Amino acid sequence: MGTENPGRPNFPMRPSFTPFASAPPTVRPFSPHGPATGPESSNFRPSPPARFSDPSVPSPPITSVPPSGVPYQRFPTPPFPSAAQAPPNRAPPVGQPPFQPPASQVSVPPPSFRPQTQALPVPMGSPPQNANFPPSSMNAPQPPTDSSLSGIRPNFQQPFPGYPSKQPAGSYGPPPSVAANLGYQSRDQMQHPGSAPPIGGVQRLTEDFSSLAVASIPGTNDPALDNRSLPRPLDGDVVPSSFLEMYPMNCDPRYLRLTTNAIPNSQSLVSRWHLPLGAVVCPLAEAPEGEEVPAINFSSTGIIRCRRCRTYVNPYVTFTDAGRKWRCNICSFLNDVPGEYFANLDATGRRIDLDQRPELIKGSVEFVAPTEYMVRPPMPPLYFFLIDVSISAVRSGMIESSLTQPQMMVVSDLDDIFVPLPDDLLVNLSESKNVVETFLDSLPSMFQDNVNVESAFGPALKAAFMVMSQLGGKLLIFQNSLPSLGVGRLKLRGDDLRVYGTDKEHILRLPEDPFYKQMAADLTKYQIGVNIYAFSDKYTDIASLGTLAKYTGGQVYYYPSFQSGIHGEKLSHELARDLTRETAWEAVMRIRCGKGIRFTSYHGNFMLRSTDLLALPAVDCDKAYAMQLSLEETLLTTQTVYFQVALLYTASCGERRIRVHTAAAPVVTDLGEMYRQADTGAIVSLFSRLAIEKTLTSKLEDARNSLQLRIVKALREYRNLYSVQHRLGARMIYPESLKFLCLYGLALFKSVPLKGGYADVQLDERCAAGFTMMALPVKKLLKLLYPSLIRIDEYLLKPSAQADGFKNIMKRLPLVAESLDSRGLYIYDDGFRFVIWFGRMVSPDIAKNLLGPDFAAELSRLDIIVGIQHIQDLLQMLAMINVALTEHDNEMSRRLMKILKKLRESDPSYYQLPYLVRQGEQPREGLLLLVNLIEDQMGGTTGYADWITQIQRQVQQN
Amino acid sequence: MAWDLIFWVLCFFINIALLASSFYQLLSLSDLEADHLNPFEATTRINSIVLPDFLLQAFLCLSFLLTWHWFMFLFTLPITAYHLMLYLNRKHLLDVTEIFRDLNTEKKYRFVKLAVYLLLFTVVLFRLLSASIFFFFAWKFEELDIRTSLFY
Repeated sequence: MGTENPGRPNFPMRPSFTPFASAPPTVRPFSPHGPATGPESSNFRPSPPARFSDPSVPSPPITSVPPSGVPYQRFPTPPFPSAAQAPPNRAPPVGQPPFQPPASQVSVPPPSFRPQTQALPVPMGSPPQNANFPPSSMNAPQPPTDSSLSGIRPNFQQPFPGYPSKQPAGSYGPPPSVAANLGYQSRDQMQHPGSAPPIGGVQRLTEDFSSLAVASIPGTNDPALDNRSLPRPLDGDVVPSSFLEMYPMNCDPRYLRLTTNAIPNSQSLVSRWHLPLGAVVCPLAEAPEGEEVPAINFSSTGIIRCRRCRTYVNPYVTFTDAGRKWRCNICSFLNDVPGEYFANLDATGRRIDLDQRPELIKGSVEFVAPTEYMVRPPMPPLYFFLIDVSISAVRSGMIESSLTQPQMMVVSDLDDIFVPLPDDLLVNLSESKNVVETFLDSLPSMFQDNVNVESAFGPALKAAFMVMSQLGGKLLIFQNSLPSLGVGRLKLRGDDLRVYGTDKEHILRLPEDPFYKQMAADLTKYQIGVNIYAFSDKYTDIASLGTLAKYTGGQVYYYPSFQSGIHGEKLSHELARDLTRETAWEAVMRIRCGKGIRFTSYHGNFMLRSTDLLALPAVDCDKAYAMQLSLEETLLTTQTVYFQVALLYTASCGERRIRVHTAAAPVVTDLGEMYRQADTGAIVSLFSRLAIEKTLTSKLEDARNSLQLRIVKALREYRNLYSVQHRLGARMIYPESLKFLCLYGLALFKSVPLKGGYADVQLDERCAAGFTMMALPVKKLLKLLYPSLIRIDEYLLKPSAQADGFKNIMKRLPLVAESLDSRGLYIYDDGFRFVIWFGRMVSPDIAKNLLGPDFAAELSRLDIIVGIQHIQDLLQMLAMINVALTEHDNEMSRRLMKILKKLRESDPSYYQLPYLVRQGEQPREGLLLLVNLIEDQMGGTTGYADWITQIQRQVQQN
Repeated sequence: MAWDLIFWVLCFFINIALLASSFYQLLSLSDLEADHLNPFEATTRINSIVLPDFLLQAFLCLSFLLTWHWFMFLFTLPITAYHLMLYLNRKHLLDVTEIFRDLNTEKKYRFVKLAVYLLLFTVVLFRLLSASIFFFFAWKFEELDIRTSLFY
């Protein structure tokens, strides 16, 4: 609460300023029509007392006057007995110009509004902050100040007339200091249509809403929307940082991101926040060098946990009673400190051994779990390969290429790998390496003459399950054809055109045979995680096969039309990644949160073991899980809510561990604040998962529409917050934090799982992309939705190699066709592949250097390439192109390879295969690149500017 | 006479079985919710009695039709139709992988079923009593011949 006070002394000063309010022209340095400056913005936080619905405040008139900005949350106070005084105050101003700035607070020193130390957990029951505040001083000056606002806004209070009376006078208590503080920024909406964002001294005050002029100029048909002015996430995913500054002990956002870093305090607030409310968790996210999660061994004391709610000890617990007790931050239960863990408290109430206790200062820690946390002794990691050897698999070369990989693995991950032998025995790799190698060598030849087109997938899966059920582990399935024999056989159902657009459409995206769901459940039960590698160019029913991965915490790798010559490299890298990345075995994950809120739904690749326990037989750094929360109580009384993610798992070294991430977030009473603290990345991640789930129960179109509706509703709600005191006209307004929401929404519309209809994407591809996106961490998802497009020819042509030049060239361009200059060379990178685009006029030098003389000549003869229609030819062409892109002995080629390597290193979860495409080369160019320029209008889809206009139109239709 | 009584006794027991099955399913679901039961076990338990439950209910409905008890038949018809719909859509069994998502709807559905069965139970009980009274005491009233006014 401390920070409130600095602002307080200003109140008595108001009377001296009030005269100005009645004589606007004289005070107009801060005229509303001028550029909004810092002090000006502060005008609109006239009545902090109104926020302090603290009953102890004897200041009825103030509280009855809604402050500017967001009146809704301040209603709790009106019903004070003395509210009778208020009406006279309120009455006169009704007719006043709504934009009259209450000049009285001009002098409020902006710096005092910055949230400072109170970011740390504030002890409960902070003293009523108004004690030293003379109530009388607030009464008199108020009317002119707030009149302009109260006059225009009484209708907003209507819906909640009886609301405040529901709260017991004491329980509402002093509002959270943090929330109140944030509220200050919320007040600065004095920006007027057309005015530039305030450039005042206080940077936080500039956090205003942003706006876009959408209306067309009267009389013309040109939309006034300037394509260049539209917001674009060209810096990639930017995590809101203010939040981390506020709670420095929170875990890093790469582990846990909330969709809004301001938790609403009431259900009515939740219902007006139309975006998903929840979190995206990536418990094992890769930490950069030096920021690894510390491991702690509590061998003597046992892991310190709250006795009531089982929360793990974390930086936000408070020690009391001279260090003998600690209070759980989640349930407020007072626990005893075990003898061995005891430490004295210093004068400020901090433990003296704080710096030796990482669990008390870091948001992410790892505890070594004793035997109570094991159902059974840790099992050795087990990898089981289930390989389809039907003729199509042999023909594509899949067997050959995939199986050279385990031999490589022998080198990198020696002791623990198991590989099956044909007689269904598991062997220890280090003991029988030779046998395995011989087997692997002989496998391709063994099935060389196989002409069997059938695939007995189900029985093989059952056999694998039986072998593995003792140990658990990871099952890698290499499937090249539709399972056609025995249990779990599937029909060719994907090519049925008539089903599309009907109510039965979604059934195609669901597993056909209940066998797969049942099998997935059984696999999870026995701690077996499944990864599917699918290769076929024909329909393989990924929807059914992928189910196995979905409910066992695995993922689906899909290589349509696999040819070992082309995709072999990709497969071997991704398989290597799959086998070598840090994997957590037999894991369960739970997320706890404070009283009054509850996580109600979970979205991602896992299976729920109980209402809030995620079972994850194998989990790694490339998997993220999203969850939505809801309020259980109508009103939250705490100031801060805490979240704690706990992942109990067996590390590959055989140690049982618990990884704990803790985060705190303030509770707010202000809808505007929720919007301002929103995290677009997490919202988009949740949106994508919800939309993909929706495609499993309804039509694609319905999924898209419901997504659009939510975006529109959210923007409309936000607009309503401001539409009264600002003439917004046809401008589109949105909080700065959500400036990319529309664009990502559009990108989702055009993403593989959601776009178009039957003809736009092959069913298998759609399903595979859906499974992939359900597991992607936020950063990678955003990159997939809005890939980077980088121009590199200048860098390649630069005379001298500058090491630092690399950063400079990584300038992302908007994804529009205009970004492509026919004299340039571009890399398009969506995290899954590279497309290297050669402009038509690119200097032949570059082509020659990069591709070698033979191919450059080929490339220049455009007609040959254009003539390619047949898919097989196209594939061969692809193969040739990829072979061509090897390092040549010249500087330019080396540099290109360096760029590719750098880009790959920045995103190692998938191996990006380069595809070369030349401008004007159809249909390749269209398929590979143009269709992915999501801001462009392509075959029936909307362009970015049109999309914004469309959204804006819907926002305005109330 | 005797047939009527036997029929109602049969209905009575079938009804009790249906009630028990519904109750058991509900109990399993609440156990699952309270984490006393894991989803694998809960679904196995429930799914194993879903079909017998459906068959029994269908049998009851059919027997009402065949014995010309119009009111009772119409009373049980909606549930039978609903069961049939579920069965034809292959949605009658619980999906172990998504059970927590469907938990609330499944519980509601079973609550409604339980309520309907309870209502049916009272009606059947009444019919059973009247049938037995009629059967055991009919000879007393035979001369008076008031049964028409009493029971028909």
